[in-house]
Amino acid sequence: MSDSPVIDGKNKQQRYESLVAALYQDVYRYAYWLCKSQALAEDLVQETFLRAWRSLDSLQNDKAAKARLFTIPRRENARLYERYRPELVDIEGQSIAASGENEPDFRMDRQLLHNAINRLDSDYREPLLLQVIGGFSGKEIAGILDLNNNTVMTRLFRARSKLKQEFGLDSDDIDE
Amino acid sequence: MDEIEFRRRVYANPQSPEQELLDAASDNPDYQKILDQAQELDTDVSNAVTAISVPADLQDKLLKIPASAGISGEELIQRESANSSYFHYYAAAATFLLAIGVTFSIVFNSGPSVQDIALGDNVLDHLYIDFEEINAFSRGEGNNFEIVNAANVSQILANAGTQFLSNDFMRSMPVRVAKPCEIIPAFQSAHLILQGSRGAVSVFVINNSPVSVEYRFRDDRFNGVVIPMGKGNMILVGEETENLDPYKDLFADNVEWVI
Repeated sequence: MSDSPVIDGKNKQQRYESLVAALYQDVYRYAYWLCKSQALAEDLVQETFLRAWRSLDSLQNDKAAKARLFTIPRRENARLYERYRPELVDIEGQSIAASGENEPDFRMDRQLLHNAINRLDSDYREPLLLQVIGGFSGKEIAGILDLNNNTVMTRLFRARSKLKQEFGLDSDDIDE
Repeated sequence: MDEIEFRRRVYANPQSPEQELLDAASDNPDYQKILDQAQELDTDVSNAVTAISVPADLQDKLLKIPASAGISGEELIQRESANSSYFHYYAAAATFLLAIGVTFSIVFNSGPSVQDIALGDNVLDHLYIDFEEINAFSRGEGNNFEIVNAANVSQILANAGTQFLSNDFMRSMPVRVAKPCEIIPAFQSAHLILQGSRGAVSVFVINNSPVSVEYRFRDDRFNGVVIPMGKGNMILVGEETENLDPYKDLFADNVEWVI
């Protein structure tokens, strides 16, 4: 994302377009990890940006706008899909982007890691995704998830420890 | 710093380790190895997480949202109707159906309209903008906010076109945060936050069209109620299990419009 996707003085349309250009891919990826469905993720992102458009005048700076764009899909996913989850096609292995790195061995490692992240408890996965995809600080993640900063840092530690253990490298664990 | 503490702090944020951790790693090869492994893993995690392919047409769809959100239903009907040679027949039929629909809805349906419900959605959106303050209250830190003095609360309310009927009321209901806000563009509103039993209780007053009927709304965290009041609306929102009825009774009886 650019340093200042929301610039005071630009008109609403320009501000909105800057937000979309800077963040739509990150918001989509976050939404995808939340609902694990391409179609639902797309719906979540469209709902997210529709709401952002409606409340754009209230988003006074880029920091607030970014946090907002990651808060809406989480809340909407919980509201719309967590209580009623339609039977989803298993798309593991189909969602990873094609790239020049897609040699079979490399891709298998990435797929294993992808699956390992998927298996993390959501308490650990969500702060990890917000940090890795959104680039949020511990304090910002604490605000989005309504946790205190120490809990967030502990969960980030545990998320990576669990991934490390899955790949055969032990790590000390710690209780919250 | 022992190894567990070092590992804990590195794993919490391997890409931006604090200087203290970098210093410890440069003094101890074992620590340096932990740091290198953590950063290597994190690069792999980042690659895996961001390797999700994004639909090619998604950006275009998102860029069309302002245009589609700006077209009212009435404009849409007019545009479509203008293209039809049977416009007058359709119009007559639509008028007849509309009359039946309106009659039916008046007789059988006393619930909120789509526009009414949108107000509750806008309020929830606004709450997530004020998330840090709301979260502080839910952590029991509401009393860390100094009580806003009566003059400041009155000024915020006056800007939104309202006032309390008596200052005694304010003494019984200390306001911890008072600020102007814009739930709906061009409609100045006031946002007051009080300490409730479950966290923050937000009180919004907004001088827009009153909703057709009082209604309650909720999401996975908050519950709220929209109350039509003469020239506008009052909206109360608290955490999911907060009982808003006492606040509703008190505020509804003590707020009046002055514009």
